[in-house]
Amino acid sequence: MSRGATVRNIWLVARREIAERARSRAFVASTVLLAALGVGVALIPLGVRLAGRATVLGIAVSAAEPGLATTAARTMDTVLNGQAGGGGPARTFAFTVYQDATAAASAVADGRLVAAVRIVRGADGGLGFTVLNVGALAPDKAQLLGVGAFAVGVLDWTRANPGATRPFVAPSFSVADAGDAGNAAGAGAGGAAFDAAEYASRRIVGIVFVVLSFLTLVFYGMWVASGIVAEKSGRVMELLVSAATAGQLVAGKILGIGLAGLAQVGLVLVPALLALLASGRIGDALLGPDSGAGASLGALSPGLLLGFAVYFVLGFALYASLYAGAGSLLSREEDLQTVALPLSIPAVAGYFPAVLALSGSNSPIIRVASYVPLWSPFVMMSRLAVGRVEVWELALSLGLLALTVPVVALSATRVYRAGVVLYGQPPSPRVFWRAIRGG
Amino acid sequence: MVLVVDGLHKRFGPVVALDGLAFEVAPGQVFGFLGANGAGKTTTMRIALGILEADAGTVTWMGTESRRLPRSTFGYLPEERGLYPRMRVLDQLVFFAGLHGMPPDRARREALAWLRRFRAEDLGGRRAEQLSKGNQQKVQFIAAVLHEPAVLLMDEPFTGLDPVNVALLREAFLELRDRGRTVVFSTHQMEVAEALCEAVAIVDRGRVVAGGPLREVRRSTGRRMVRISVAGDHRMPWLARVPGARVIQAGMDRATVELEGALEPDEVLAAAVGAGARVLHFEVADPSLEQVFLDRVGRPAEQEAHLAPDLGGGA
Repeated sequence: MSRGATVRNIWLVARREIAERARSRAFVASTVLLAALGVGVALIPLGVRLAGRATVLGIAVSAAEPGLATTAARTMDTVLNGQAGGGGPARTFAFTVYQDATAAASAVADGRLVAAVRIVRGADGGLGFTVLNVGALAPDKAQLLGVGAFAVGVLDWTRANPGATRPFVAPSFSVADAGDAGNAAGAGAGGAAFDAAEYASRRIVGIVFVVLSFLTLVFYGMWVASGIVAEKSGRVMELLVSAATAGQLVAGKILGIGLAGLAQVGLVLVPALLALLASGRIGDALLGPDSGAGASLGALSPGLLLGFAVYFVLGFALYASLYAGAGSLLSREEDLQTVALPLSIPAVAGYFPAVLALSGSNSPIIRVASYVPLWSPFVMMSRLAVGRVEVWELALSLGLLALTVPVVALSATRVYRAGVVLYGQPPSPRVFWRAIRGG
Repeated sequence: MVLVVDGLHKRFGPVVALDGLAFEVAPGQVFGFLGANGAGKTTTMRIALGILEADAGTVTWMGTESRRLPRSTFGYLPEERGLYPRMRVLDQLVFFAGLHGMPPDRARREALAWLRRFRAEDLGGRRAEQLSKGNQQKVQFIAAVLHEPAVLLMDEPFTGLDPVNVALLREAFLELRDRGRTVVFSTHQMEVAEALCEAVAIVDRGRVVAGGPLREVRRSTGRRMVRISVAGDHRMPWLARVPGARVIQAGMDRATVELEGALEPDEVLAAAVGAGARVLHFEVADPSLEQVFLDRVGRPAEQEAHLAPDLGGGA
């Protein structure tokens, strides 16, 4: 068959798939439902900010120098809670002076307090602030503490040097997360560093990509399988295979369902992204500007989007081919339920290392998983999102995936060709293997 | 000969579906492919279409192996009827014709013309799931012929149709033949094959057991028959007194009598007149295809051959 006829038939099959999905009530209903869910999820940060407004964060303040902790606590309370003496309904922090830094650290460790601020005076007379927490202190709140620390430093300088004989030394400020000790938020690709807010943003973007990839590859893969089983059980398959080749039918179905799936993802994501952007403005209007709240989309770079697009297309081609081959061996739609779980195992096996990679882990297992074609669409996307990938790793991962897709697609087409005219029990492993070999 | 099926062999695991099956079909002929369920008819058609691969043997059309030909060379009506349930009839017909390379406008025009001739022009806008089985079958037939294929392969096309639709389909077959199409259809309804076919092949357990022009096949057993109809007692007791005359098919209207040994037809007629029977009809006849089938296969065509596995309705 000529190349023109092949392209024509693939497009005809794809177009029919798209039209069928667009007409399907299930498609319309699931799109509306998912879009509503997406908007809901996008508004979660706003909800968290609103809820956080009523939450008072307990902070320990300790210093070896007599009186320093008390003065600092009072100053930060005044600056950060907006009123002398603290204690109003709108206050964010409740500062408690601890004489013993170890006792403060253990109060943080056992969750009684959110963070402990330890103040040390340096040799140059400047103050050093170390904020110890175990993951309960949001980056924006840490930044606020930094502002408070600066105010303490300024007041300390004016009080100690009324004549300004000593030059002002800006207080140093660092946040230590005891629960993230090994992760060193900030060690990015090629050693490039980024701050805590950007790291949080990259995690959010990574989670969105990984969850989206996982759901769409499995969900739309099942569409491919169920579409083929429906054609078999409805016996329209015989007309199809007499009119077009197995390759055209498989490619057309994957393309059509892939495009329908992409359209659905778009219809779900665009309102969610708009809601996310709007939620920052709404939050600012209701609660005042908050530098930590608006940065959640900051990491969504064109490069990441391109990576997502490439991994989604190749990953979908890979998974959809597997689902097409499996679907062609089934005769009844009820059989789909029994194979749905085993079919999703490869994706689930890739999902877990991807989530681990998002938490900052970069173990050899995660690195290897990001090269394995069945898993790289999830794991490498995670690693790209949190910025921990060397160029050669990306090339290896993409190269292996790009090589695997045609091999799996060809095998799936052969299985499809043999499977679609077989009814009853699935063929034996020997027949299955012969089909893959093209025998 | 234009369509040549040559020495086809096909096994499904331990089951032999085709065992050296061979026959030829002349161009522009209506050809009957007769056999019980499981005899190998569907497998042969699927191999001709390139859906299955033969273990050995070839199917050629005009000297070219069928799998090297464009799929639009063939039109196929599968035995298992099926359409997209939620798709409108006209859209389905245009879709399938499109896969064979037919432009949508022309496909739409031709599809409407076929629906009109099947007295089903109102079906075009309906979804397939809203149609009766007979109407779905008509739509599938149109899907098979719409792109004007040179060869039509029809698997049990008359099964499940009411007499009116059988007559419409027969007319369509003859019209397609007159347009120069080669029509091969499988059936186990021998009377349909007798009424339509110029040539037949009787297939059993994957082999052709009789084949060729219809008349030759009917005479191939060497048996001689007369058909006789008399007024009054249809049991024709006088026949018992005619040596060599054996009623092989009794009927209220007419009986088929086989002539054995040296018995001649005129002796049967003379015996009837001699017995005082009023003869309404008398003809010297060839055995029916049904009789040839029973002779060659040893059982009625309605019985399964129990050879092929479940491959979606016969093999």
